[in-house]
Amino acid sequence: MLANIEKNILLFLLISVGLIALPHIYHIPASIFGFFVLLLTWRFIGIWKPSCLPDKFLLFLLTVGGLVLLYSQHQGLFGRDAGTRLFMTALALKLLEIKQERDLYLIVFLAFIVAASQFLYEQSIAMAGYILFVCCVLLGTLVAINSRRQNTFNALKTAGIILAQALPLAIVLFIFFPRVEAPRWMLFEDKSRAKTGLSDSMEPGSISDLSFSDELVFRVRFHGPIPPNVQRYWRGPVFSVTDGKRWTEAKHFTYTATAEPDFSGPAYRYTLLLEPQNNNWVFALEMAGDYPPQLRMNSEYLLTRSDNPDKRAEYPITSYPSYRTGALSGHKLRINTQLPGQASQKITSLVKRLGGFDQRPEQFIDHVLQHFNRENFNYTLTPPLMEDNPIETFLFETRSGFCSHYAAAFTYLMRTANIPARVVTGYHGGVLNPVGNFLEIRQADAHAWTEVWLENRGWVRVDPTAAVAPERIEQNVNIEQQIASRNISFFSADSDLARQLDWLKQARQLWSSVDYNWQRWVINYHSANQTQFLSSLGIESLKQMLSWLVGLGALFTGILSWLLFSRKEKTADKMLRYYCRFCDRLAKAGLKRNAGEGPVDFAARSKKAYPDHAAAIDEITDLFIKLRYQKESSQGDLSRLAEKVKRFKISL
Amino acid sequence: MNALSLKDRFRLSRFFAGEKPSDEAILLNQRRIFILPSKRGLSFVVLILLLLLIAFVYNNNLAYFLTFLLASVFFIGILHSYKALAGLTVQKGQCKPVFAGERAVFEIHIDNPIPVPRLSLEIDLHDKTQMTLAPYEKKAVRLHAPTKHRGYQPCSTITLSSGYPLGLFRAWSPLRFNLSVLVYPKPWPQEIPLPETGGGASDQGKTEKGTDDFYGLQEYQRGDSIKRIHWKAYAKGQGLFSKQYSGEQGDELWLSYEACAGYGNEERLSRLCRWILDAEKTGLRYGLKLPGKKIGLGIGPLHRASCLEALALF
Repeated sequence: MLANIEKNILLFLLISVGLIALPHIYHIPASIFGFFVLLLTWRFIGIWKPSCLPDKFLLFLLTVGGLVLLYSQHQGLFGRDAGTRLFMTALALKLLEIKQERDLYLIVFLAFIVAASQFLYEQSIAMAGYILFVCCVLLGTLVAINSRRQNTFNALKTAGIILAQALPLAIVLFIFFPRVEAPRWMLFEDKSRAKTGLSDSMEPGSISDLSFSDELVFRVRFHGPIPPNVQRYWRGPVFSVTDGKRWTEAKHFTYTATAEPDFSGPAYRYTLLLEPQNNNWVFALEMAGDYPPQLRMNSEYLLTRSDNPDKRAEYPITSYPSYRTGALSGHKLRINTQLPGQASQKITSLVKRLGGFDQRPEQFIDHVLQHFNRENFNYTLTPPLMEDNPIETFLFETRSGFCSHYAAAFTYLMRTANIPARVVTGYHGGVLNPVGNFLEIRQADAHAWTEVWLENRGWVRVDPTAAVAPERIEQNVNIEQQIASRNISFFSADSDLARQLDWLKQARQLWSSVDYNWQRWVINYHSANQTQFLSSLGIESLKQMLSWLVGLGALFTGILSWLLFSRKEKTADKMLRYYCRFCDRLAKAGLKRNAGEGPVDFAARSKKAYPDHAAAIDEITDLFIKLRYQKESSQGDLSRLAEKVKRFKISL
Repeated sequence: MNALSLKDRFRLSRFFAGEKPSDEAILLNQRRIFILPSKRGLSFVVLILLLLLIAFVYNNNLAYFLTFLLASVFFIGILHSYKALAGLTVQKGQCKPVFAGERAVFEIHIDNPIPVPRLSLEIDLHDKTQMTLAPYEKKAVRLHAPTKHRGYQPCSTITLSSGYPLGLFRAWSPLRFNLSVLVYPKPWPQEIPLPETGGGASDQGKTEKGTDDFYGLQEYQRGDSIKRIHWKAYAKGQGLFSKQYSGEQGDELWLSYEACAGYGNEERLSRLCRWILDAEKTGLRYGLKLPGKKIGLGIGPLHRASCLEALALF
């Protein structure tokens, strides 16, 4: 059976399977990828040495081995990672069992699924181009199977042509195929998927890890006006307990709300669409007033959900930026003024200098913020290491850090002055998506700020980072990224090298705009964007969408078939057509050319029947014979034949 | 080509059995070519649905795009399938008589009149034949079919098909030609002695001897054995003559249906067939007597053919 399948087809297939699996080296465990590579190599060797291929028993053992390997990963059957591993293993095992053409097809189909699974991990332009290329090779394999004689390069070319012809239709489908969000029960998320996000404790540096992560955390669609950036604090875990270095949550014994804050001023109603998370926190705008019953608010005013945080969820929430919380219990007071031991002399004297012990808390807060603002404090994502005593080191030596350093130091100073204070983490800002009219909050927007409890006002938010880097708070400029990217300007602007590098910069800008548009128009072309885009074309309803889909599809199919089947008539076809017309004229007059009757015989017969036309019949027959059977015939002969046939008429 | 009525157009038999048998060349066009997804094509549809599900669940636009691309490839595969057969012309060729039980050979001519190679053509009569056609290539294809009964056996529907380029669709065209093979009766399997010659005095021994005695030349007549043509005289340009031998003037071998008494109809014909073949070998002039039909004495391939035809159509 194996002999039926030619070597070069197998080689072609194995190469394309290898190519399709290659990027998964980053996505699946080394053991499974190793298993795959082993089996693929085995199969490669098997092309030249068929005897070394496994027999049925060994194949059975390998299958069991593959299953054990899959089981050992504890991934289950569904979900992105589990599915990818399953299909990779199945593909590898199927490679060793190629007996018929049907098996080749199954392998190609499995390979297409693995190709699609690549997109679940990466959606860059480069990956799309790569997969498109590999799909071309896979289709080329199918062409090669179906045309044994054709060499593989020609098969690849044919596949490329077919893909190119399919492209317009695919684009039409892509634009007009209605996108619907999958219902929640269909979302199998992966158990061990390492997600980034805020953690349940804060250490120096913990938030800077997130600063470059473009991962979406949640989206918010406001029903009405959108609050200004200065008010967009999305509340996450609150840290009240510290050992001087690490900040953790206080144990909240009661989940039932303590005193609900008094709300005043405008209310913001919005829908919060949360992406899968590690923890069950729901990042509501400070301060949430109304929320659905499946959410609970803990004593630190943080909303939590009771269902599985692995799933995407959507909550309607109303928040009030102006609020006033109530009194502080003795227990809470103790927790929120807790410090690990006595503050050092240096810190105490700083607090004293800033009026922490003799002035009103509001004044002390102002003085601390001014201190941050005026004394050369830096906002940086890459602060020097502060091993022990990080707060003192930060305040007196390095003076550079990012939001978590400022929040921790500020809280420490407040507590030294015996003012209840705590660190709040969460997200700040968010970018408005002008098309979908919703805010997108990404991991890079993670932030830490503080809350100070003031008599008569309750917990008041103070953001010490704003004193150092107001851009971050007011304009949502992500200065971390700006600082990080500043290292590109090594050269002074007028140096030759700088000018030479100018085009590089332009190319970079061009590329980033291409990439932005790719993200914007291709990757994020989901239901909201689609509705928006199509309605800008005047297509509003599903019915219109489908009729456009069908109409444009038919148009492109029509164009394609015209391209495929219209061909310019060759001289040979033309003269045959003229001669046939001549025969038709005679046939109409009653003289039919018999099957297999040569033109000379027919001419003789027709001359006998119509002696008046003998000259014309001879001329036409001679021209036809000359054109058809002689090498030296000219375009002139063809037009003369056309002319003669046109004039040839038999009047009855 | 003659137009089809609407009713004929939708008759299911057109899909498999083809249209009325034709004498002329058949051009494969949209009327003659049928296309349906193959089993692999159907599983490709399942693949597309699976990919669509993946794209839907993960809301992944590139996976959507891959799905749509493959769906479009599948869809335009219909056009490519059509292109694999369109424009070919098929014409019937020769067909030589055979004895019952032998394989009949039907010859057809396939002409590819355009500059597109036809890869992976399959012609199915009784067995499947794979072939390819280069641009502008004309090929004669010999198709085999088993024979069972004597008489004219028409060539059944010839199916020309192709799975090119992706094997997801099968384009096929059922073709019927006015082509039939003449099937002679099966020769009696054992040797049987020829019946007595009708020459009266001459006996078996003399007959055999008689073939060797050259008697003279006679002008060639249709039906004379090719072995007896006086080639030397022909080469000198003196015309076509047959050599005559002394013994055969009197030797008249009559093969008659009646002589096979005691056998059934088909067996009698089978025995007669055997005799005709043997008589032709020994060079005897022979005649055939069937109830209601008589073929006079003669020898040579044409005589043999007309005798066998008489048996086949009896």
